[in-house]
Amino acid sequence: MKNKATAMLGWSTLIMMLVALFMVFEWVPTEEDQGIVQRIFYFHVPCAWVAFAAFGVVAISGVFYLWLKEQLFDDLGYAAAEIGMVFCTLVLITGSLWAKPIWGVWWTWDSRLTTTFILWLLYGGYLMLRSIADDTPEVARFSAVIGIVAALDVPVVVLSVRLWRTIHPAVLITRAGEHGLEDPRMVVTLLVSLAAFTALFGWMLMLRLSQLRTRSRLMIIRRDVALIEAAAGDY
Amino acid sequence: MAAFAAVLRKDLRVEIRSGQSTIALFALSLLIMVVLVFALSPQPADRARDGAAALWVALVFAGMLGATRSMIAENENGCIRALTLSPIDPAALYGAKLTAAFAFMAIVEVAAVVLITLFFNLDFGADLVRLAPSLMLGTLGFAALATLLAAISSRTRAGDLLLPILAIPLFIPAIIAGVKSSEAALSGFPLAAASQWLGILVAFDVLFVTVGALLFEHVIRED
Repeated sequence: MKNKATAMLGWSTLIMMLVALFMVFEWVPTEEDQGIVQRIFYFHVPCAWVAFAAFGVVAISGVFYLWLKEQLFDDLGYAAAEIGMVFCTLVLITGSLWAKPIWGVWWTWDSRLTTTFILWLLYGGYLMLRSIADDTPEVARFSAVIGIVAALDVPVVVLSVRLWRTIHPAVLITRAGEHGLEDPRMVVTLLVSLAAFTALFGWMLMLRLSQLRTRSRLMIIRRDVALIEAAAGDY
Repeated sequence: MAAFAAVLRKDLRVEIRSGQSTIALFALSLLIMVVLVFALSPQPADRARDGAAALWVALVFAGMLGATRSMIAENENGCIRALTLSPIDPAALYGAKLTAAFAFMAIVEVAAVVLITLFFNLDFGADLVRLAPSLMLGTLGFAALATLLAAISSRTRAGDLLLPILAIPLFIPAIIAGVKSSEAALSGFPLAAASQWLGILVAFDVLFVTVGALLFEHVIRED
């Protein structure tokens, strides 16, 4: 059920992405210390932002679902979780691709990587619940609870992991180049990329949401048909 | 309050009479620690770190099974429906189940502490007493999470697999804080040295006991 708003969002996303790609690969200057690899940053950071924002959407949808009991919120939470998982995976992959040439390792347990990995695990748990319990009538309520609990856990995770890493510092000095944006063109590029990825997230969310809503309606119709057939069969 | 006490008494009585879950939990903790002994090949120099690690691994995995067992029993004989239909406050029901889970885990942990002292050549002394705060706080947090999550997992297919998948990522902050504070205790440091870790455990417990009490009704209700 694509509608005009979704289509317009799709076209805007395309345009913003093209602009962002041009800026990342042509316009923005190469960073001195890290070289070309640093350009991954302009994809990596927006992906991380989307991954965390999507998680927020999952949790807030969960709250609204438990409160208002509208199927729309359950579908929204599920859609946001799926898309968030994709972007969280991308954060980890782009991070690794950057880390290997810069730090020399594919992975390290520094506080930000560890927290993102735990977020990835939390997403995984939510999606496993969805896939395993898909035929359970209460799955929407269970998922809402898990989404809320996981979102509330994230601040505690950040706190504990940060403390863990200060007491046992990571082998490598981290934070290299993340906030050292000397050239204003780098800031602009990052902001444009952020906007493009946010639009992409919104567009994917709308598409997936409309699919899930159709699916939910179909399930209700099927259930009603089954009830009618069962009642008719009594005659 | 009366309802809380009644449900708690029921759970405790059922467990004391059958006794199988607690004994199985104890056996499982023992065996997990045996695996860790062979996995770690502990040296005397690392005994505080290895002992803390073994203790918390055993806590998490044995605790998971304990939580599942109690909720499965409720579902099997339809008790959970009876409890939901009764006018008992869901938060009181949650509190009772949480307390029962905590009690069982605490008993098993006392035995586990004795075991790690033997297996990892620790001293029976003040160090073990200093373990108590981190263990108690960690167990409470775990029981709070597991009671809520087991209510979900016991009503889905492959619930036994689903519970660890849901519980462990959520429990990670408590694992980090618990292991670190336990390690500090076993290394002979005073409690004040681990105050930040214990603070995290307290925050974790307050958060998840509150959240569990608020959300429990949504997971036990049947449509």
